[in-house]
Amino acid sequence: MSHENTEFAEFFQASWEPCLRAVVASTGSVQLAEDQVAEAFARAWLSWRKVRRHPAPRAWVVRTALNAGASWWRRRRRELPLAGHDAAAPSDLDDGLDAALLTALRHLPGRQREVIALRVFLDLDIDTIAGHLGIAPGTVRAHLSRAVTTLRHELSPSQAMEVD
Amino acid sequence: MYGNDDPDDSAVLSAVHDSISRLPMPAAPHLEAITARGRTRRRRRLGGLSIAGAGACAALVVGLTGGSGPAGPAPQHEAPPVHLAAFSVVAGPGGATTLTLYPGQVANPNAVRQALAEHGIPALVTAGRFCRTADQPAPGVGQVVVLPYRPPQPIGGGPGPVRTGRPGPIVIYGSAIPRGVKLSIGYRQDPGNREISFTLIQAGAPLTCTSIPDTGPHGDD
Repeated sequence: MSHENTEFAEFFQASWEPCLRAVVASTGSVQLAEDQVAEAFARAWLSWRKVRRHPAPRAWVVRTALNAGASWWRRRRRELPLAGHDAAAPSDLDDGLDAALLTALRHLPGRQREVIALRVFLDLDIDTIAGHLGIAPGTVRAHLSRAVTTLRHELSPSQAMEVD
Repeated sequence: MYGNDDPDDSAVLSAVHDSISRLPMPAAPHLEAITARGRTRRRRRLGGLSIAGAGACAALVVGLTGGSGPAGPAPQHEAPPVHLAAFSVVAGPGGATTLTLYPGQVANPNAVRQALAEHGIPALVTAGRFCRTADQPAPGVGQVVVLPYRPPQPIGGGPGPVRTGRPGPIVIYGSAIPRGVKLSIGYRQDPGNREISFTLIQAGAPLTCTSIPDTGPHGDD
């Protein structure tokens, strides 16, 4: 195995789960997220020479996965008249996740969900997120603030109080 | 954890993190499955022109058979041929049945299953999921399915699965499927990522379904 392949293999093993959780938070479906993240890693493997130099390769994967998901939904909307097939429903998280939180996350605007995913699950700081998304740090803060405000209103008071 | 954020914001972000972190996540697929998917994508990207040509040919086939009945020798099954925009199921060659999933369309899995059943092929058909049972029964899917552009599998071929991403007719030997066994067909027909996977399953046995097909020993991806 070449050095680059070894490097990609290590990146893949270490990054699969955090990337998957970030995309699950945005899509609300483990099944859809699993497929989108797999697709994103396949694209990362193809473009590894570029991705390995990216300041936040995991962010590259998450954003690619979310973009792949957006394309999937666009196609699915076009394909619905033909369908009736059993592709994944938008939510298959029946266990362990607060339904209100899931609903609130899924109803956030796309950019806010993206910022939440990068901030919470990849632990990226504001400047890195801004650089990755090509927007100003102040804009990232604004997206984050709006998202948090929405989530705070949607979350039950008891759940918010449980966290230190 | 989110030390630079406002403490109130940090509490909300931590709640989000903790809720999602409690969810069990599926294990990472084998690296080979990811690289195979990447190679498939690269082939599609490089071969876009030829795929477009194949799509045009498929459309021609639909036009010919849809209006004037099946081309070629008379079918040996009593079941009528089915020609839809997304897929076709026709009798032949010989005692086999030919299934074609056309690129750029999403076939209704129930319609595919019913069409195959009319040709005597018991099948589980899923779109976007690839299902198998713990045991992959004899005689091996290589004895039942012949993929496009590949010669027939040799006698005694492995248990499968077999998979392809190429458009083209897939020949199924329904008579080779033993009683109590079904053919599991999973497909994804995204333009940039087209995969069809076949495996034999025990009817009634618990299923394991994933969104990524197993890498089969006979597949061309």
